[in-house]
Amino acid sequence: MDQKDLKAIIEQVLAEMNISGAAAETAASAAQAACCAGSAPVVEDGCIPDVTEVNIRTQYLVKNPEHGEEYAELKANAPCRLGIGKAGARYKTDPMLQFRAAHSAAQDAVFNDVDHDFVEKQMGLFIVQTQCENKDVYLTRPDLGRKLSPEAVATLKEKCKKSPTVQIYVADGLSSAAVAANVADLLPAIMQGLQSYRIDVGTPFFVKFGRVGVMDEISELLGAEVTCTLIGERPGLITAESMSAYIAYKATVGMPEARRTVVSNIHKNGTIPAEAGAHIAEIIKIMLEKKASGTDLKL
Amino acid sequence: MQEIVKSVGIDIGTSTTQLVFSRLVVENLAGSYAVPRVSIVQKEVVYRSNIYFTPLLSATEIDAEAVKKIVWEEYKAAGMTPHDLKTGAVIITGETARKQNANQVLEALSDLAGDFVVATAGPDLESVLSARGAGADRISEEERKTVANIDVGGGTSNIALYQKGILKGVSCLDIGGRLIQVKNGKISYIFSKIQALAKKHGIDIQVGQQADIPTLTRVCEFMADQLAQALFLKPQDAEHRGLYTNDGTSIPSEPPVQGVTFSGGVADYIYNPTTEDVFRYGDIGVLLGRAIRSHPAFGQIELYQAAETIRATVVGAGTHTTEVSGSTITYAADRLPIKNVPILKVSEEDEAVLETLSASIINQMPLYRPEGRTEQIAIAFTGRGRTSFADIQMLAEAVIKGAKEAIESPFPLVLVIENDIGKVLGNAIRVKLEHKKDVICIDGIRTLSGDYIDIGEPLANGHVVPVVIKTLIFNS
Repeated sequence: MDQKDLKAIIEQVLAEMNISGAAAETAASAAQAACCAGSAPVVEDGCIPDVTEVNIRTQYLVKNPEHGEEYAELKANAPCRLGIGKAGARYKTDPMLQFRAAHSAAQDAVFNDVDHDFVEKQMGLFIVQTQCENKDVYLTRPDLGRKLSPEAVATLKEKCKKSPTVQIYVADGLSSAAVAANVADLLPAIMQGLQSYRIDVGTPFFVKFGRVGVMDEISELLGAEVTCTLIGERPGLITAESMSAYIAYKATVGMPEARRTVVSNIHKNGTIPAEAGAHIAEIIKIMLEKKASGTDLKL
Repeated sequence: MQEIVKSVGIDIGTSTTQLVFSRLVVENLAGSYAVPRVSIVQKEVVYRSNIYFTPLLSATEIDAEAVKKIVWEEYKAAGMTPHDLKTGAVIITGETARKQNANQVLEALSDLAGDFVVATAGPDLESVLSARGAGADRISEEERKTVANIDVGGGTSNIALYQKGILKGVSCLDIGGRLIQVKNGKISYIFSKIQALAKKHGIDIQVGQQADIPTLTRVCEFMADQLAQALFLKPQDAEHRGLYTNDGTSIPSEPPVQGVTFSGGVADYIYNPTTEDVFRYGDIGVLLGRAIRSHPAFGQIELYQAAETIRATVVGAGTHTTEVSGSTITYAADRLPIKNVPILKVSEEDEAVLETLSASIINQMPLYRPEGRTEQIAIAFTGRGRTSFADIQMLAEAVIKGAKEAIESPFPLVLVIENDIGKVLGNAIRVKLEHKKDVICIDGIRTLSGDYIDIGEPLANGHVVPVVIKTLIFNS
C-alpha cells in the first residue's frame, strides 16, 4: 500500500466520522475560546470526596457483573484491590487515586519524622538517637540504625532504672505513622498488663532512627531480663500504621535473629493496640517463666 | 498445633432418646508472629448410638433410671468414660421438656456426662441444633440461598431459617408424627390441638375409633399445610397462630424461603415416602411424611437432602453447642470450669453511656438474688466502639461501679463480651481491684438476656476457653 492510498483511506475515515479539516479547526478554537474567555476563575463551594475514606472492602466497581453480589460478599473478607473494574485497559480513576494515595501514605510514613512533641509531652518519653545523623543515613546504613550514639548511651545510663525485669521502649523503625497511631494505646496496655502480673518494668523511652537490632545493645546496657521494642513496620498499601513488638529474653549483641519473638500487625484494623498490649504483657510473663524467647519459646 | 476435644450430645426427645460422641479439632490459625486466632476447625461424629424410644413412666413423667441405663450402656459400647469428655450437651427436647421431672432426669445424668457436660432445653435452641445437624446452615451458605430446616419430630416441628449461612429466625409448631397414636388398628391417643385442627376441617376423630388410613391421611395433609404456612409458602389461616408451641411466633416472612431440608424422625418418610405398613411405629409419622412430600407448596421450592435426619438434633447438640472464646482473654484458671451461670445482659442502648451501663447492672442484680443471696452471674455486653486504652479504663471503672455486689460476693467476677477487648479490660479491672478479685473476662461470645453460660477449662495452650451458651427461654 503506497502513501497515496493510505491518505485516501484516512480522509475517508475522517469524512465518515464527520470531521472535516475545517470542523476540527472550529472545535479547537472554540475550546481555546472557552478556556481563555472567562474573566476570573470561579471557586466552587464544596470538597472533592476524600479517596482515602473509601472502604475498599465494600467498593465493587465491575459493570454488569455475572455474580456481583457473591463477589462483593467475598470482597468483604479482605481489603484487596479486586473487583475494581476497568476503563479500557486501564484502572478507573477512583481506584487509581486510592492506590496513589496509599502509596503516598506509605512514603510519608517512612520519610517523615515522628513528632517530638507527641513523644515527649503526650507520651512522656525522652528521646535518644542511634548513630544515624539523619533520615538518609538511617535508610542507607542499616548497621548504624542498630547502634546507639555515645550521647544516647550516656543518657540511658543516667535516666534509666538499672537491671529492670522488663525494659520497654519505642522506636520509629520504618513508620512514624505507626508510632503516632498506636503507642498511646499500646504502651499503657502493656504496662497495665505487667502491673496486673506484678512484673517490674524499667523506664520507657523513644529511640529515633532505631532498627530492631538496637534492642540488643539496650538490653546489654541496662541489664534487662526481657527487652521489648515497639517499632513501626515497613508500610504497605493496606496500612501505613502497622506496628510490631519484638521481644527477647536476655538479648545480646550478635545473638541469632531466631531468639526474637514478634507480634505483628498491630493497628486499628488488625489486632487493636490496647488488646495487643495485654497480649504482649502475657507473652513477657511466659518468657520470664520459661526463660526463653523466639523459636526456643513455644507459645 | 491441633488439639482434640471430645464431646457428647444426648437428646431425650418426645419419642426417641439417642446420643453421639464427636471430636472437635481446635487449632490456632494465626501465624506464629501474630496474635493467636484459635478456632474449631473440624467437627466429626465418631460414634452414633442406637435410637431408643424415650422411656416414660407415665404421660407426664420420664423414666430417669431407664434413661440413665441407656446412656451408660452406650458409653460402654463406645469405650468412653465421663472423664474423656471435655464438653457437650444433654438436651431434653420437644414435648418431653414439658414433663414434670425433666430436671431430675438432667441431674441423674449429670455425673455420667462428664465434668463439663450440661443440660439444656427450649425449642428455639432445638430448632437451631437440628438445623445445624441437618446441615441447612451449610447448604444455605454454600448455595447462597435462603434455606429452612424443618425438624419434624414426634411432638413438634422445629423450624430454623438461614440466609447465606446466617440464622434469620426460628419457630416451633405442635405438628409431629406421634400426636396421633395407633394401637391394634385403633386410635389410642390424639393431641388436643390436632383434634381441634381436624374438627375445623370437618373431620371428627376420637380415641378408640378405627384408624382409617384415608381419614388420617387427610388430617396429615392439613398438618403438612400448616407447615407450608409456617414457611410463608401460602397465606396463614385462622388456625395457624394457635399451633405454635407455648404461644410462640412464626419465623420472619422475609427473606422468602428458597429451599428446605427436613430432619427428625418423620424426615426419612418425607425423603422416601412409602405406602406400606404405615402404622409400623404405632403413629401417623409415615403418613405425615408422605403428606408433606406430596404437598404442592413444598414442590415450589428446592428440596435439599439433609446431612442427618433422625439424628440431626443429637448431632447438633454434640457438635454445634460448643464454641471457643476469643484468643486473647483474662481468666483465673483455678476458678474454671463454671456451669449454668445466668447472663446479666446490658442492652446496647444502656451500654452506650457509661452511667446507664453501671445503672443497668445495679438494677438487674435483684433478679439474680432468688433466695436473698447473690448467685454467680456473668455480666454481658458488646463492648462495641470502646477500643482505646483510655476508653477501656473508663469502661472498667463503670463495670466496677455497677458490679459492686458481684465483686463483694465470693464468686469470681465473670464478664462476657462480644468485641475483642477481653484481655485488656480484664487486666484493667484486675489492677483497679488491686488483684483482690478473680476476674474472668472473655470475648468473642454473643449472648442474649436470659441465656446461661458454661465456661470450660482452657484449651490450645491456654489461649481460649470452650463456651456453651444455653438458651433456656421458650420462644424468646
